[in-house]
Amino acid sequence: MNFEQAKSIEYAYEAGSFDVAIVGAGHAGCEAAHAASKLGLKTILFTLHLDALANLPCNPSIGGTAKGQLVREIDALGGIMGKVADQCAIQMRMLNRSKGPAVFSPRAQIDRSKYSVMMKKVLENQDNLFIKQGHITDLIVDDGKIVGVMTESKAIYRCKACVVCTGTYMESRTIMGEVISLSGPDGLPRSQGLSKSLKELGLPILRFKTGTPVRVNLASIDLSQMSIQSGEDDIPPFSFENEMKGLQVASIDEQVPCYSIWTTDETRQVIHDNMDRSPLYSGVIEGTGPRYCPSIEDKFVRFKDKSRHQIFVEHMGNDTNEMYLQGFSTSLPEQIQEQMVHSLPGLQKATIQRNAYAIEYDLVDPLSVKPSLESKIVDGLFTAGQVNGSSGYEEAAAQGIVAGINASLKVLNKEPMILTRSQAYIGVLVDDLVTKGTNEPYRMMTSRAEYRLFLRQDNCDRRLTPIGHEIGLIDNERFCLFEQKQAQIIEEKQRLKSTFTGPVPELVKLMEDIGMKPPQSGISLEELIRRPGITYDMVSLIDKNRKDFTTDIKKAVETDIKYEGYLKLEEAKIASFKKLEEKAIPQELDYEVISGLRLEAKQKLNALRPVSVGQASRISGVSPADIAVLLVFLEANKREFKHERL
Amino acid sequence: MPIMSKNPFCACSTPVGIGGIAVIRISGDGCGKIIDKMTRIIRSADGVSSFSQMRGYTMALADFFDIETNKVVDRVVLARFEAPHSYTGQEMAEISCHGGNAVKQEILRLLLSNGCDPAGPGEFTKTAFFNGKIDLSSAEAVMDVIAADSQRALMAANTQLNGRLNAKLASTEEQLYKALAIIEMIVEFPEHDDTPENDEEVLKLCNIARGEIDSLCKSFGSGRMLSERMRIALCGLPNSGKSSLLNCLSGYDRAIVTQVPGTTRDTLEVELSIEGIPVTLVDTAGIRKTSDEIEAMGVTRAKKAFEDSDMVLYLVSPDTNLDSVIVQLNELLLGKKADRICILFSKCDSGKNSEEEEIKCACSKLGIRNFISVSAKDEINVDVVKELVVRIFEQEGAFASQIILINARHYEILKEARENLDMAIGALNDGVGVDVASSVIRLALDRIGQITGKTVSAELVDTIFSKFCIGK
Repeated sequence: MNFEQAKSIEYAYEAGSFDVAIVGAGHAGCEAAHAASKLGLKTILFTLHLDALANLPCNPSIGGTAKGQLVREIDALGGIMGKVADQCAIQMRMLNRSKGPAVFSPRAQIDRSKYSVMMKKVLENQDNLFIKQGHITDLIVDDGKIVGVMTESKAIYRCKACVVCTGTYMESRTIMGEVISLSGPDGLPRSQGLSKSLKELGLPILRFKTGTPVRVNLASIDLSQMSIQSGEDDIPPFSFENEMKGLQVASIDEQVPCYSIWTTDETRQVIHDNMDRSPLYSGVIEGTGPRYCPSIEDKFVRFKDKSRHQIFVEHMGNDTNEMYLQGFSTSLPEQIQEQMVHSLPGLQKATIQRNAYAIEYDLVDPLSVKPSLESKIVDGLFTAGQVNGSSGYEEAAAQGIVAGINASLKVLNKEPMILTRSQAYIGVLVDDLVTKGTNEPYRMMTSRAEYRLFLRQDNCDRRLTPIGHEIGLIDNERFCLFEQKQAQIIEEKQRLKSTFTGPVPELVKLMEDIGMKPPQSGISLEELIRRPGITYDMVSLIDKNRKDFTTDIKKAVETDIKYEGYLKLEEAKIASFKKLEEKAIPQELDYEVISGLRLEAKQKLNALRPVSVGQASRISGVSPADIAVLLVFLEANKREFKHERL
Repeated sequence: MPIMSKNPFCACSTPVGIGGIAVIRISGDGCGKIIDKMTRIIRSADGVSSFSQMRGYTMALADFFDIETNKVVDRVVLARFEAPHSYTGQEMAEISCHGGNAVKQEILRLLLSNGCDPAGPGEFTKTAFFNGKIDLSSAEAVMDVIAADSQRALMAANTQLNGRLNAKLASTEEQLYKALAIIEMIVEFPEHDDTPENDEEVLKLCNIARGEIDSLCKSFGSGRMLSERMRIALCGLPNSGKSSLLNCLSGYDRAIVTQVPGTTRDTLEVELSIEGIPVTLVDTAGIRKTSDEIEAMGVTRAKKAFEDSDMVLYLVSPDTNLDSVIVQLNELLLGKKADRICILFSKCDSGKNSEEEEIKCACSKLGIRNFISVSAKDEINVDVVKELVVRIFEQEGAFASQIILINARHYEILKEARENLDMAIGALNDGVGVDVASSVIRLALDRIGQITGKTVSAELVDTIFSKFCIGK
């Protein structure tokens, strides 16, 4: 509706005027609100329920493969997820330690309620930010541009830009067997009307499905039948600021373990006998579910050769007995869930505190979204998080910070921040969504990144903090620390390059211990570290003059040296990637008139309107020859333009 | 495919096929230096001694060298064009060489291994356009050239020869996707105890893929250049009637196109057309008996002909005995391709082999199903042989003979893929993180994908999800 129509609605009133309005206070909304208000814009954050701000309605953990990288990237740009997670961690691990630094992934088990409380506190104390419990049902758009939002209670809030991040709440319904509830996750109220409003504005709406497992009471389960998975010590914090200031996350004594069990033949039998009551197979569920997160019944159906599946039992927090059964998501009826849980080792007498359910929700087709996360259809309207087809807290937060920054830059009349695939996982995430679209909730995976050796968790700050500083999310004090850290890395690499050692006894022993021949003559410490099997830490035996550095610095130095050759290969690939990425395409270009483009390419390009030749090259159905044709056309256009100006 | 070449790029600009002369064009700054290294001027317009010293629009007679072996590949005529007065606006050269496929491909191969890139679709015209050599009004024509070029390449990709290359590469890709999926599974879902942690398997798969790519690379420029032809090996003892049959099959009107000596001196290759099907008949003169022993060398050569051929015609004359036939076939066959071997009882005009039934019976046990009595002299059943050739040709994808790389671009791509796999194997052997191995395997797949048209991310994610059971 437009502003006139909104004003004319009975009981409608103007409740205030803001630069940026944010609809939804999940992980995307919180980052967006934080970024916009920190950049000095008058911001309002709407949530359906204030007690569910930054809720973790599914697994009680943050980070993990590719997701840990996202959290550190968000922090490197000046976001808050990492800092709050550092305060709420009840277990820390670095996944993939033996697989190489490019895939090291920090993960924390999180105290769920503490996370929500801490995040609320951070945002409540943020200047320029107003938090409001309210249900947004309509967007107000004049001449294709967003001008305000309206609540269910008919309050009109004017805004210059709006970020919609409704997660899984839009027209959602939860499903347990035959029982369907018109509800959001965790029994919270759902968003009604907004989806219709978006549809009326011309945004394409899709419907996805996801799900969550049961929670059981710790007092009712027998841990002795489970194997223990402990946390690890000395894990760098998610936040680079905490890391640089030497702040440690939960020490090993403060951490709680997780537990691991396997499903039994009985589990399989129960599921098998009740498959006809699964809404997935009876056709009740219409939404598309994620492949990487199948329900337990789905796993048994799709992987018939596997007789059992692994389940993790995780603490939901320090002040609760609730335990989360990771890997046991289901949409079978409540009654069956009892039998299923009781078939698991140690859970024979478990009491279920919250049942598992599947949830369906409306979202916006991300192909209608620009790389800045602004809608191609409504000016000033941004979308972030699950409403763009992603899955996961970290994916949502990553889009949240991008949308928050770009909504602000839009109000400030500045160019948007677009991170590329060679700069950040965030860039890969956004580009995948807006260029390729998705037909299932999109999960970040390290294998989606082409430049994985370059996009590491230890160098997120090197990649992104200068950008965060330029935008204004990173203050000068932190930037100063950052620059010192980078200087230390460079200096230390230089020192290792110019420090030589002979075959001293310590070195001979070190080499023999790992089954290698000691060098015959002098060798630089850099050369030594480059050898397989030798780490930066090991060399300390013969390197007495070294300074004490943080884990991050040590890792960066070691990786830069060890991976130099491979990184060069990847950098060459990045260089050629950048060339096409920098070739901009005018948004008003009519691809129909370009002779030489194949029909399919014309249709796809016209529909998607890529911002650069690079983006165009990643659209399925656009061939390298089409790209060559496009380049020629753009060049011809450029000359014509010059010609006209003369 | 790089969208814009940075290095000089080259291509043969005369039509595919065998002509008297072929012209290879090279464009790009620095191409002169590359040609200087590879040619020795014999006579030139101003008596200069190197290509770079030649004035624009002049020509020279020169020998073209393989600088590694120092052998002359061909005597060629060089034409030089100076920047910006050339078609593309860059420094350019044209090499007119002798028109045989082997010579052309060898010169291209040497140019590629000395710093040139293979030209992309319409790249000469495209470069000319970007350098302002073609005016704005022709921009559309330029785009059409690119589109037409890629269309032609697409059509070529659908031909049987390339279809076979793609099929072969598909199996190589599969190995690599499997290897990647194993690595990625461990990496993406590290906390799961049931994910297969198997570096050995990854290494094995990489080695297999590397071997496959290597043999393809080695086949390029091996001297035996094939177009899309069916290879039929004619085997049998001397005087079993191979020559007569060969003459009979080729006939007067289906003239012999060329006679190219094969990879071994003792095999003779004859190109002809049978019922419109382009065929290379390989006469394996090598199978012969000295006293009672089969000559070892002969067997080796015949085996090679067997392996490389799509079909085998094994001739048995009336006076050949059962033992010598079975001994040879046993040696050669080793259970392979029995369905594409045909036993021809030759010279049937002069009588029947006394052991014909026994031979048939013994051959059947080896899996051989086709037996024809022929006479080249009286043209008895020659048409039956031709029908069989047609039938085997039409069994789509049935060709299992060695695939030979004939496209210079493909060669270049696969060479790079091989280098990447070497790095991957090195990294795995050295125990460097699997992240590195995965990164370079991915590069290799990227390159192979430039031929097969697959993109890594999409394929990989699908492989992971289809093979493994994971989830929260």
